[in-house]
Amino acid sequence: MLLIQDVIKRYGPITALDGVSLEVKPGEFFGLLGPNGAGKSTLMSLVAGLRSPDAGRLTLNGRPLSATDPAARAGLGLVPQSIALYEELSAEQNLRTFGALYGLRGADLRARIDEALAAVQLTDRRRDQVKTFSGGMQRRLNLVAALLHRPQLLLCDEPTGIDPQSRNAIFELLEARVRAGLTVIYSTHYMEEATRLCSRIGIIDHGKIHALGTLDELLMRLPFEEEIRFPAGPDTAPLLARLAGQGELTTLDGTHRFHPRADYRLSAFFTQTESLGLPARLFTSQRPTLEALFLHLTGRTLRE
Amino acid sequence: MRIILTLLQKDFARLVRDKAALSLTFIVPFALIYLFGQVFGVNRTDTGPSGIPLAVVNESDNPAAAKLLAALQGEKAFFVVTKFVNPDKSMRPLTETDLRPMMKANNFRFALVIPRDLIRDDEFGLHLKILSNPRNEIETQTVHGILQKTIFANVPQLLGQSLQARAKKTLGSPKLAAFNSSIAGTVAKTFGGDPAAIQRDLERGDFGLGDADDGTPAPAGGQRGADFFAQLVKIDNEQVIGRDVKAPAATHIVGGWAMQFLLFAVSASAAALFHEKEHGLFQRLLSAPATRAHILWSKFLYGVLLGLVQLVVLFAAGRILYGIDVEHHLPFLMLVCVFAAAACTAFGMLLAAVSPSPEAARGLATFCILIMSAVGGAWFPVSFMPEFIQRISKLTLVYWSMEGFDQVLWANASFIELLPTLGILGGITAAVMAVAVWRFNRGPLFD
Ligand SMILES: Nc1ncnc2c1ncn2[C@@H]1O[C@H](COP(=O)(O)OP(=O)(O)O)[C@@H](O)[C@H]1O
Ligand SMILES: [Mg+2]
Repeated sequence: MLLIQDVIKRYGPITALDGVSLEVKPGEFFGLLGPNGAGKSTLMSLVAGLRSPDAGRLTLNGRPLSATDPAARAGLGLVPQSIALYEELSAEQNLRTFGALYGLRGADLRARIDEALAAVQLTDRRRDQVKTFSGGMQRRLNLVAALLHRPQLLLCDEPTGIDPQSRNAIFELLEARVRAGLTVIYSTHYMEEATRLCSRIGIIDHGKIHALGTLDELLMRLPFEEEIRFPAGPDTAPLLARLAGQGELTTLDGTHRFHPRADYRLSAFFTQTESLGLPARLFTSQRPTLEALFLHLTGRTLRE
Repeated sequence: MRIILTLLQKDFARLVRDKAALSLTFIVPFALIYLFGQVFGVNRTDTGPSGIPLAVVNESDNPAAAKLLAALQGEKAFFVVTKFVNPDKSMRPLTETDLRPMMKANNFRFALVIPRDLIRDDEFGLHLKILSNPRNEIETQTVHGILQKTIFANVPQLLGQSLQARAKKTLGSPKLAAFNSSIAGTVAKTFGGDPAAIQRDLERGDFGLGDADDGTPAPAGGQRGADFFAQLVKIDNEQVIGRDVKAPAATHIVGGWAMQFLLFAVSASAAALFHEKEHGLFQRLLSAPATRAHILWSKFLYGVLLGLVQLVVLFAAGRILYGIDVEHHLPFLMLVCVFAAAACTAFGMLLAAVSPSPEAARGLATFCILIMSAVGGAWFPVSFMPEFIQRISKLTLVYWSMEGFDQVLWANASFIELLPTLGILGGITAAVMAVAVWRFNRGPLFD
């Protein structure tokens, strides 16, 4: 659906995007994970046709996206990083304005506005000025304003902001829309959001995509640092003999720590414990996270 | 066009829901016109002290001097002070020694001394002394001009006396008596009258030209009591333009105030472009089918309409408060208002286009508007300004807008007569907008 090839974007001396390539397929919930200044918003703005790249190509359904061709981005919706609403106007007036820009009007526009307001639980506040809304309500309206014209591809640039209040409402709405066929590109610097929502994730930093894939694919790229812990005692003693040679075993404060060899399969571990009649609750494991992956790839943390 | 109208509608909806902006549009202009009118005394009807304070010390016992004083007191432009008020509230006539300290204390800035030797025999003319503490050139010129007019118009007899005194000194008494007698004889022979009486008048400096108040019949052809100057130079005074204008002072200046107010209002609304940018609204609009051109032209249209509304309110205030005749000129007045509002809006947009931030835009606007208003004639008439400033005036949109208002309200101009002014305003608008749009496209606003 969306194809980005070798895109470079500079602001004067700053190279905000440094050869970005990626493809987003229909129906994907694509996450763009990276810290502030990574180039997420810049990439969004290029896709939305707000700017032109200095080099590279962007196409939507095979048609080149450009700042001078509004028709090419008709099937596209943008949720800007800031709350892009007219705060003197009511929720309804905002939606009416944005809908009218897409050529919607009359009964159709009214019906879509009703539907949108209902979807974000703002129906009873529809006539109130946006400036009287809480941050979370504004975020919800900011999101739904980009859906009025029923785009195929929705660009969400950190749509939850720093305000956790409406996070779940936003997540649920987006997940429902994706189930109904919407394609989403979702940028965030919260690994929890990317982990929960996204079917595929690109890790971006300093204008470069450092890794691209499903959550599992990405985590596989971490050197296998899984560690399984279980209490020392007579129950578990037989297990120690069977694990010998399969990895590294240490004991500290009455807890055994097992670091498996790289080619060791977790399923083998559980076959052993089952045959010994050991309950699963004895074992805890430390799964790697995107945060750890980011640190591994860039030497920095996401919060920097 | 649909997109521009949508954006325009949005801006008006915002205006309607913004109480502060609304009152700025409709109430403040009214208040401002009222206040300015009070400050500048437009159509003042109260009878309180008015005119420029002028102290007069009369040391002469010449009856003509008393007449001069009376004439000055009758002059509207002056508020004549002749008495010194003692601390116990009793009064005595001012003396010349009072004048300087009182001027230093700012009791008045102009004083006239009529000395004992009002008429000397060693020179022609009157000997008067004017003391001044000029605050500005225009006031000084005005005071001197009115003084001269009053003196010459009201007491030409003094000049006759001066002439006689001088003649006596150069010719000597017997020769002057012979001269006077022969003139009197000739006058009596030609126009009739008593030669002895005429000679007496001549010796008193009364050439029958002025305001002689004894019963002497004036020579034929000379009109008794007529203005000396009116006889020397006959001026038929005809006001060609603006004769029927109902509120002349207000008509001339309301346009200037209106322009200044409009400039502030419109550049504030252009600076609001930054607000929309900062809130990411341009991203939203531009990712929708709107383009930069749509945004800019909708803002321009909005500015013009808002400006038009504001000018209408301002002139309505002028109509209600000062009786400016608006209704008889409505179509052309609206036409000039549209062009003036367009030029102002273009100016506001240029400021927003060249400024890196809304603060910078506001600062720059204040600076430019004040300069342009002063130079363009919104504060006082351009014709009072030095030549080179008058030339600069013609580069400002304030000048041409005021010119347009004047043409309509004052000179009752026809459409053809109005066309050049509208053309210039239109030209200014087009040129300024061209630069603004060009700057917007490379400036930070859409980045
Ligand atoms: N309009 C701009 N002018 C100059 N530099 C910019 C502009 N927008 C972004 N940048 C710079 O480009 C880089 C990427 O920014 P951005 O795309 O906003 O990152 P993110 O959205 O991931 O926080 C940053 O270094 C930022 O400072
Ligand atoms: Mg960003």
